[in-house]
Parts: sequence; structure tokens; C-alpha cells
Amino acid sequence: MAEALSAEVRDLSLVYRGRGRDVIALSEVSLGIAQGEFVSLIGPSGCGKSTLLRVLGDLLTPTQGTVSIKGRTPRAERLDRRIGFVFQEAALLEWRSVLDNIALPLELRGASRRDREARARALIELVGLTGFEAAWPRQLSGGMRQRAAIARALSTEPDLLLLDEPFGALDQITRDRLNMELARIHEVTGVSVVLVTHSIREAVLLSDRIVVMTPRPGRIERILDDPLPRPRSLGTRLLPAYEDLVRAGSRELEKGYANV
Amino acid sequence: MSDSTLAAPVPRRTAPLSHRLLDVAERSWPAVLILVALIAGWEWACAALGIKPYILPAPSAILTAALNDVPGLARNSGITAWEATAGFVIGSALGALLGTAFAYSRFLARGFLPFIIAANTIPVVAIAPIIIIWFGHGIGSKIAVTAFLSFFPLALNMMKGLQSYDRTVADVFHIAAASPLQTFFKMRLPSALPYVFVGLKLNVTFSVIGAIVAEFVQADRGLGFVIMTTYRTMAMPKLWAAMLLSALMGILFFLVVAMLERIFVPWHASMSTDP
Ligand SMILES: Nc1ncnc2c1ncn2[C@@H]1O[C@H](COP(=O)(O)OP(=O)(O)OP(=O)(O)O)[C@@H](O)[C@H]1O
Ligand SMILES: [Mg+2]
Repeated sequence: MAEALSAEVRDLSLVYRGRGRDVIALSEVSLGIAQGEFVSLIGPSGCGKSTLLRVLGDLLTPTQGTVSIKGRTPRAERLDRRIGFVFQEAALLEWRSVLDNIALPLELRGASRRDREARARALIELVGLTGFEAAWPRQLSGGMRQRAAIARALSTEPDLLLLDEPFGALDQITRDRLNMELARIHEVTGVSVVLVTHSIREAVLLSDRIVVMTPRPGRIERILDDPLPRPRSLGTRLLPAYEDLVRAGSRELEKGYANV
Repeated sequence: MSDSTLAAPVPRRTAPLSHRLLDVAERSWPAVLILVALIAGWEWACAALGIKPYILPAPSAILTAALNDVPGLARNSGITAWEATAGFVIGSALGALLGTAFAYSRFLARGFLPFIIAANTIPVVAIAPIIIIWFGHGIGSKIAVTAFLSFFPLALNMMKGLQSYDRTVADVFHIAAASPLQTFFKMRLPSALPYVFVGLKLNVTFSVIGAIVAEFVQADRGLGFVIMTTYRTMAMPKLWAAMLLSALMGILFFLVVAMLERIFVPWHASMSTDP
């Protein structure tokens, strides 16, 4: 691959050690993510998508194999706050305003109040939360909470943005909107993105490549290229090529579900 | 298009004082009405049914007895209030520290909790004489008894509170490379505050009980002392006055803690519910 790699996973295996029986969540997974690339992970429940994402974010340590991000260990990248992570729940601090929630990683890094407020305000604008700076998290809708979580993950200008089913709990219209926001954020920031999703349509709409995984043990079944023109918009879904990709992706997915 | 095209709310951390006072007035007038009716009925019953004053003194008799010894009652109330407050603060502080240690060390929690829970079942009236022997006949021993009572609720609630943080929020702190101290002060402690206030509210009522029980055992001042001496001389109206003062003190302390809770935990969901 000619492009610079943002992240590289080689022969990664991860075993959850349990009482009596171990679970092989990932077995010999290899994957390279190019700088600025948008990669989606899709596959049936339990195929190890979250596990792979958590290894990339240094929330889990590989049992075997190597992982590097920008040529360094995930731990080094995390300690430098070069990784952004968005979870299915927004996980906002209920006792902080939206602004202070978004500024949290900068605050932990020791940034001055002025710097982190300026940055947080810019991010609030980027994710479309202008006017809600001083609101409490519980005053926000689910979609707005996820916007805040995305802004927080972007606050330290990460090299790699990891999202674990961030829109899974949202209604379709909100989800469509946030898909477009994510596409735009990816476009303007140039951050590399790994998105875990259960929706093949969401994956096709947003990705450069779609990684289809199968369970027991978690493996990569197939990697689909998604050459749809950029920038992506909701209109992208009207292209015949979009439907072709969705069909191809669904077929691959069904293979995975066949041995569930 | 985005959600933010909707009108932004005007976030209010605290409503203006005049609104809040109106709010309080609106919510408390039924209770005030009942109280007034109760006192009137009580006064009427004592006279109409000829209830003997040592069984149930009339409100007017209690008030007269209280007014006859305002300086004495004030001084003794002050002493009990001081014992209760000091014991509450010391016991709560020690409880918070130990609860924190338990939350962070499974070894300490497993090692000490069984004994702490066992000690917690000792009736305060049984332990008070021992504490008074240890700490002497002054105010210090009353504070110690109160502290003993205030200790357990906070130790247990602090531990539970510090363990009750959201695991995904913990992941957020991990990803953001937070130090253990940052994680404590910016995540675990704020998450624990609702529990801490449950413990503090228990303590604050216990603290008045603790001080008065300690005074029953041995004292030459304080509301407990007044209750004991008036009991011996059957000066029931004054005993009632002292009893009502101790109840008032408990309520007052509770309101102070509830107010602190509103200041420190304004985000907590239970705060926004009526009444
Ligand atoms: N903490 C854990 N301890 C033991 N086993 C685990 C743990 N977390 C996940 N597993 C197991 O590892 C496998 C992969 O889990 P993972 O959460 O990565 O799947 P997933 O693809 O994200 O699934 P989903 O789509 O449901 O989120 C599953 O079989 C799961 O039961
Ligand atoms: Mg998952």
C-alpha cells in the first residue's frame, strides 16, 4: 500500500479468559487503515467488532499479534490523547455543561481555560450544537448527546476516531442526519475513522472500505471496497452503485449469519 | 439541517430568589395549615377533655414553660447543637475517608466491613456509657458518641457511591489518559455525591439523637440533661419544650443538608421531582 498507514493490526488474537472456559473473541485478524481512511466494521453480534475497536483504543491488550497506530503502540497514542472514542451511549458527565463535557479531555491534558473553551466552542459549531453550550446533558435529545460525545472525542485532534455503534440507539431520521455530519467531519478534519455498525446501508454510505466479520472465532470474512464518489451525501443513496454495494455487503453478511 | 435549528433552551442553573421563595411558599402552605390546625385542636382538646397536664400539656402551657427559661433553654440547645454538629462533622469525615479506602481496596473492604457492620448493630445506648468512660465527662464524650453514630452511614454510602460510576464514562476517562487523581475528583467523587447525601441525611438526624442519648447517660448541660431533670421533677411542660426543641434542631439540620445537596448535586434527577 502506497499511502501512509494510520493503523495496522497484524495477526491479532484476543482471548477473554473466563472461569473454566475462554472465549476467543478475535483470531488472527490483520487489517491496515490508511491515513484519512473511513473503515466500517460489520458482522453479526459477537464477532468481535467491539473487541477489535477496544484493542485499537488501548482499552484491551492483545493476547497475540501486534497493533500499531502511526507506527506507535496504542498505549503511546492514547497517552498522547491521539485517539478519540465514541460509544453507543454518549456517556456525558451529568454534572457538567455541554461545553465543559466537550472540553473534558483538554482539561485532563492541562489546557488553559481559555484555550479549551475556544476549542470547545469551535467543536460545538462543527457538530451543530450552537446555542447549547450551557445546557445540562439531560436537557439534550439522544442525537444531540451523541453530537456532544463526537465533539468531545475530537477535542484533542486525534489521529484516529473510533466509533462503536454510535447511532445504534437513534431513530432513522436522526441517524441519517448524524451520518451526514460524520461524513462532513471526516471530510473537513481528515481524521481516520473506524466505525462499528450493524447497518450495511450506513457502512456503504460512509466508508472507503467495509470489513465484514464472522463470529466464533472472530475473523475477517471479507473486505469490500466502496468507491462511491465523495463527498458523500444522502443523495449518494440514489446511485445504482450504492444499491449494488448494499446487495454485495448483505450477501457477505448472510454468510456470517449462516454459521451463527 | 441539524437539531440545533430548534430553539435553544435558556439553561438556568438556579432560578431567581423571588421565584424560589414563591415556590417554597406554594409547596409548604398545606403543611403549615395542618400544623396550625393540629396545635389549635390540641389546645382545645386539653381544655375540653380535661387532659391532665403531666399526660399531655397544652401548647400554651409548653410555650409558657419555655418562655420562663429562655436563656437556659437557649444555652442548653446551643450545647446540644454543638455536640451534634461536631460529632456529625467528625464522624462523617472519618466515614468518608474509610469509605474511600474501602472503595479502592478490596482487601480493606473485605477485611474490615464485617466488623464495621457488626459494630453498627450495637445499640447506641449500650455503647454510650463506654465511650463516656473513655472520653470523660465533658462535651468531648458527647461528640464522640455522636461521631460513632455518624460514622457508619457515610462509610457505607461513600463506598457504594464511589463504586457506582458509569463504566462507559470510566472508559472515556481512560481514553483521555486521566490520572487516578483526576479520575477520582472529576468522575468518581461527583458520581458518588448522591449517595454521600443519602448518608449525610441519615447522619444529621442520628447526630441529634446521639448527642441527647449521650446526655441521658451522663451530663450536666444540654437538652438531654434538661429532659432528664424535668422528668425527675415531673416538670412536663418544660420537658415537652425541650423535646420539641430537639425535634426542631433535627429538622433544621436536615434542611441545611438538603440545601447543600441542592447546591452540590443540582444535576441529580431526584432533585427535579415534586414535591
Ligand atoms: N468482557 C468479556 N468477557 C468475556 N467475554 C467477552 C467479553 N466481552 C466480549 N466477550 C465475548 O467476546 C465475543 C466478541 O464480543 P464483542 O463485544 O467484541 O462482539 P461485537 O461484535 O461487538 O458484538 P455486538 O454486535 O453484539 O456488539 C463475544 O462472544 C462476547 O461474548
Ligand atoms: Mg459491540
